[in-house]
Amino acid sequence: MAIDVGTLLQILFWGLYAGCIYILLATGVNLIFGVMKTVNFAHGELLMIGAYVTWTLFSLTGLNPYLLLVATVPVLLLFGIAVQRLAFRPVLGSHKLNEIFLSIGLIYLFQNGAAMIWGSDYQSIQSPFASMAVTIGSFRLPLDYVIIIAVTIGILVGLQLLLRRTRLGLALRATSQNRKAAMLSGINVERMDMIAFGLGAALAGAAGTLWVVSGQVFDPYMGSVPAVKAFAIVILGGLGSIPGAIIGGLFYGVAESAATYTLGGAWKDAISFIVLIVVLVIRPTGLFGERGE
Amino acid sequence: MRTVLIAAIVGLLVVSACLAGCTQTQASAGGLKLGVVASMTGPASTTGKDVWQSAQLAADEINARGGVFVKSLGKNVTIQLVQGDDESTREGGIKAVTKMITDDKVDVLTGGFSSAVVTAHESIVADHGVPYIITGASSSTVTRRTDINTSTMFHHAPITDASASQTTIFVDEVMRPAINAKFGRPADTPLRMAVIYQDSPFGKGALDAIQSTIAAKGLKIQVVANETFKMGETDYRTTLTSVKAKGPDVVYPIAFLNEEVPMLTQARRDVGLNTIFLAVECVDDPDYYKGLGQYGDYSIIESRFSAYAVPKGSISPNVGKYQKDYAARFNASPGMMGAATYEGVYIAAAALEKAGTTDQAALLSAIGSVQVPEMVESMKNSTISFGNQYHESQFNLFMEQLHWDPATQTLRPKIVWPAALKETEFQIPDWYRPGSV
Repeated sequence: MAIDVGTLLQILFWGLYAGCIYILLATGVNLIFGVMKTVNFAHGELLMIGAYVTWTLFSLTGLNPYLLLVATVPVLLLFGIAVQRLAFRPVLGSHKLNEIFLSIGLIYLFQNGAAMIWGSDYQSIQSPFASMAVTIGSFRLPLDYVIIIAVTIGILVGLQLLLRRTRLGLALRATSQNRKAAMLSGINVERMDMIAFGLGAALAGAAGTLWVVSGQVFDPYMGSVPAVKAFAIVILGGLGSIPGAIIGGLFYGVAESAATYTLGGAWKDAISFIVLIVVLVIRPTGLFGERGE
Repeated sequence: MRTVLIAAIVGLLVVSACLAGCTQTQASAGGLKLGVVASMTGPASTTGKDVWQSAQLAADEINARGGVFVKSLGKNVTIQLVQGDDESTREGGIKAVTKMITDDKVDVLTGGFSSAVVTAHESIVADHGVPYIITGASSSTVTRRTDINTSTMFHHAPITDASASQTTIFVDEVMRPAINAKFGRPADTPLRMAVIYQDSPFGKGALDAIQSTIAAKGLKIQVVANETFKMGETDYRTTLTSVKAKGPDVVYPIAFLNEEVPMLTQARRDVGLNTIFLAVECVDDPDYYKGLGQYGDYSIIESRFSAYAVPKGSISPNVGKYQKDYAARFNASPGMMGAATYEGVYIAAAALEKAGTTDQAALLSAIGSVQVPEMVESMKNSTISFGNQYHESQFNLFMEQLHWDPATQTLRPKIVWPAALKETEFQIPDWYRPGSV
């Protein structure tokens, strides 16, 4: 089978785009897990709520949807803080099953709540840059996806700066590394839990906005599949490792795209888990995970 | 404080859980209890709402006229609807149908959308021997399967084989000559078709039907690509890039509404696949036109009922009235699945009158032999009946071409085939690029 280079690059590009959404989701899951040691199964629903918040703001204001990222991210940050405070904190430290069933319950709550507020019909919006593209030979780069990749890089750089260059980041990392020691050194770990959850939700919200501006359709039930993939990426990259989430997300995006092209779309989801199984057999802690996580 | 918060969360969870999977009863007690299987929640809820509202419209029309005369009772009785939400899932369908049969004691069932969901709950219906007028589920297996007793199932929707076959014939009869003529190709040049199909019995059945139609009728169509996708997929960019590389003259997706809209949008907007897309008949819904917008310009859709096109012939006044009444009552345009369910309620009413009793065995026999004049969908011999071996009604399908009106910012269809029903000629847009030969 002869493959045109332009086609190959185009497929790689679609993989990078898909990887961006996965990276933002997986990084949020990892941040929450790293600090709280809790897996939020309703994380995909935060992506969905982010998409609806962007859509609502777009419908109300008509502003460029990329600008609405500035509004959606804080809304989801506050929403995440509220969810952590009202739902997770009361059960934190009790049996792990409580946390698991709570987050599973939240999936249904968020889905039905969104259906009640926004209706269960699918929605989509058009980006103002929808018709613009950069063409290099037979390689066509729609402008929206170039912006999405750039925005994702910007968010990740900002997150790294927050975690590495600020006192808050230091406190979050300390809580993540050793909760008791962090507490003994005067860090309010409960506040760190709220902030980590809020940041995770904000990243999911950003992914929701990028999902919407790429012209993807969305409905109250759209979060489940991306969430499952985000969890797989987290395990692949290593629990609690943000670089692992980034590399894992990119790898998944490209692997899915390659599988769709070579084996057909029916293999898209399967290939992700085949890769996961292979990596775990070779390295049970994931690519960047440490023993004991 | 903590107890209050936990109690509040538990309360909200209970309320949200109750929102799904509940059944709802309309109208007063007595008369024919008609269970309507509709996807009121979940991904297919747009269609589910249309199904339920259309059933309400039909039942209210019948009841407003005094109901149905039942000979054994010597009086008219009303149609009482019972809503069963299948939650767009197999499990939800089983739960809803079981409740309607065992708790609500429905006499007849109608509705049902997805083939996967319907085939899952059919065994419950078969076990209880309840007549079921299935108005969705395009897979032929719903009445042709042999693992359960399907004698109580009546299929009032075109099966995949018939609809895929009709579209393939249209491509050969209308599109191929037009494209060959426009681009100066010899008249017998085969048309290059790419098929992108859902990885499900629905998608595979349609692909088989396309290929067998081409082979059986010797059509000059070459299938240059057949690509699969998972049900509910939203990202088709890689698949479309692969299809584009094969140089198709036409792309035929076997996809649901929520799949075809992003597929076609991504094809035109992101991948630059400037070809004509076809669509299966089950996507002809107002949301399809709204979702596609300008990207649907010049695309083709197979149909049996459209919210925005009225085929010529005897059903024209009925279609116009139905569209008007539906819009007036629900402030929305009706969809195809709703139209079939609207007829499903009338079929049940006609069967009740013919049976002259609410006895289930008599109703079953009456549905099997009833002859209802065509209503809002064009039927073979202008009649709705389930006379054939598999209890399938026979539709006259037509093809529409969609046109974007920049002034009104709307996408609307015009019927282009067959000749007896068409409103205008099939057109090839200036931006169209034929596949490489």
